[in-house]
Amino acid sequence: MAGVRLEHVYKKYPGSDKASVTDFNLDIADKEFLVLVGPSGCGKSTTLRMIAGLEEISEGKLYIGDRVVNDVAPKDRDIAMVFQSYALYPHMNVYQNMAFGLKLRKFRKDEIDRRVREAARTLEIEHLLDRKPKALSGGQRQRVALGRAIVREPQVFLMDEPLSNLDAKLRTQMRANISKLMKRLETTCIYVTHDQTEAMTMGDRIVVMKDGFIQQAATPDELYNHPVNLFVAGFIGAPAMNFITGQLSEEGGAVRIKATGINVAIPAGKAQVLRDKGYIGREIIMGIRPEDLHEEPVFIEASPNSVISASIEVSENLGHEMFLYLNGLGKDNVIARVDGRSQLQEGQNVKLAIDMNKIHIFDKDTELNILEV
Amino acid sequence: MNNTRLQQLQQMINGSVEIDAMSKSEWVKAGGAKLPEPGDHLELEQGFMLVTKADNHQVQVLHLQAELTLLEKELLIWLAKQGSMSKSGSASASEMERQARKLGDWLQQSIDAGEWRAEISERFELHHRLFDGMIPFLLMSEQAENREPSYMELEKVLRSYLSDDMLLIPLREREWLILGTDRLLAEVETNDGDMIERGETKEALVSLATGLHQMITEEWGGDCHVAVGEPIIPTESLVYAVATLRETVNLGRKFHVGMHVHMPWLVHLERLLSGIPEPVRSRFMDEMSGRQDLFTDPETVSTLDAFFAMDCNVSETAKRLFIHRNTLLYRLDKLKQEAGLDVRSFNDAILVRLLMLLYKVTKRK
Repeated sequence: MAGVRLEHVYKKYPGSDKASVTDFNLDIADKEFLVLVGPSGCGKSTTLRMIAGLEEISEGKLYIGDRVVNDVAPKDRDIAMVFQSYALYPHMNVYQNMAFGLKLRKFRKDEIDRRVREAARTLEIEHLLDRKPKALSGGQRQRVALGRAIVREPQVFLMDEPLSNLDAKLRTQMRANISKLMKRLETTCIYVTHDQTEAMTMGDRIVVMKDGFIQQAATPDELYNHPVNLFVAGFIGAPAMNFITGQLSEEGGAVRIKATGINVAIPAGKAQVLRDKGYIGREIIMGIRPEDLHEEPVFIEASPNSVISASIEVSENLGHEMFLYLNGLGKDNVIARVDGRSQLQEGQNVKLAIDMNKIHIFDKDTELNILEV
Repeated sequence: MNNTRLQQLQQMINGSVEIDAMSKSEWVKAGGAKLPEPGDHLELEQGFMLVTKADNHQVQVLHLQAELTLLEKELLIWLAKQGSMSKSGSASASEMERQARKLGDWLQQSIDAGEWRAEISERFELHHRLFDGMIPFLLMSEQAENREPSYMELEKVLRSYLSDDMLLIPLREREWLILGTDRLLAEVETNDGDMIERGETKEALVSLATGLHQMITEEWGGDCHVAVGEPIIPTESLVYAVATLRETVNLGRKFHVGMHVHMPWLVHLERLLSGIPEPVRSRFMDEMSGRQDLFTDPETVSTLDAFFAMDCNVSETAKRLFIHRNTLLYRLDKLKQEAGLDVRSFNDAILVRLLMLLYKVTKRK
């Protein structure tokens, strides 16, 4: 097993003046499950392909273990890949598919047999070993593709959106299976996805990327609660964090945020940071997660300095929770996540209290989280 | 053994011949030896079963249903044994490479000279191996390495994937023609060994090419492009097949960035568009200006790609995208409102399809 280290890695395609990946620095620990996440075109797959050796590294160094592997061929990097299009070898049965790579590397037959059967048992596909890929379902094929990677017992697993060809139900199931499997195998895994739920539920650590740059690399909890900028704050979480542009002012010793329909006081600790950094009197963007808007009377009573009023444009009741789309706060709709048993209805005016300890304040120009940076 | 050889054998013995694969345990259960080898045989109530290939787990047998004389049986057994020995007994690796390069050079010269219908003459040592039905694959490696990958290394990997009777012919730098037996098509089918239906051939070819691409990427030389054509008799139409596959890869790389497996029967429109003079293309794009902005939204592009791939069938597209039918209808309505093009109408669908293809080419200029 081994860790992976990327030092100042760049990817520039010929004829393009802009780098697809810029100054990528990351140390991935041995046995870590690292997820690269970001919107389409952010450079996550390119980064993975550079680690795999499928793309040349334009600049920088890539280590697998202690070895620099920039010039090492993919087959000699001791990695195993699982792609979105998990193409199996259609004329071979499942056993042969899984054994192929080992056979090519001249492993002993009894060793091949042991590894294939062990992987098949782990993935619960023992009963499928004689079948051809055409006779398998999508989920079964996906497991065979995983099996093909597992039998190699590589130093690092690389997975590029391996679940995106599956339907939602199977995806959820396989998500849990892969997490369990990787824990059991204790192997470093680098996993690419555009799906933030996948990232949050699977990763020990998540790297959020945009336009070829790392935005933040942190644990799921850290990313959710302490996003370093507006992009990360908006990308992680569903429904997304609410953003309200407002003005900071100081009145009677308290720092307040004022925006359309909002005039709330900021807790002393956060207020001091804003004062120290010279933000009083300036426009900022306040970020608040939907679950940090409270309609419970007890909470409203206890938070007299952060109460707001709004009208409910749309309400979506999912049973266990309800999403309220609110009008009259800032320029855009604000979403609140409240208890599914609430009796709130569309068209109704509602009083909510903002949990001010959970707010984020972003610089309007740099989009950095003023309270975190 | 490919289909042509199978048919020849059927005619010779005046009976039916089938190739079966069975597990080692099934072979032993049927009365065979515990360590089967090519040439081992079983007398059956109806016919004769002969091992042609055997490995640790599987036995490939010829099942012959015909009245055979003792001499005929002995000849078949001898042939099966010879077949297994000939793998190492035929031309040495370097000699094979020399023969393949000679043929590759001739193929290249014929294409350059525009002689696409040229037939392979008997002066080529490989001529005798090019009479049977074979599947042509074209492999273009994109791996950024300085050294030219070794012929022997690649051949070894391909033999493991395709079978021992494949042929590897180097064409240009990092470009190879691979000929695999058409018997592979039947092997793509499930275990019952049924002959493949004609309509399923293309589907099987796609899966073989996709598997080949994956195998090359993982097990040999990294990134590459693969094109596959329908089975041919190489002596008659190899030049044409190579030229078509090369054109297919070039069109695929131009119009379908990100795709690595290409099929000639899927690039008809691309071939046509590629031949349109630049001023005509530019005029079309100018007339459609404003509507191209649609293709900057990945969701719209993936929705349209799926919609066209599913022949404009709303239900099938929704299924493929794992979204509700109404969500798809909403997206298509949104497109109609923003671009004034309703892809559910045939004429607008054509325009959007052309626009998408040309946009992919022009945006990279």
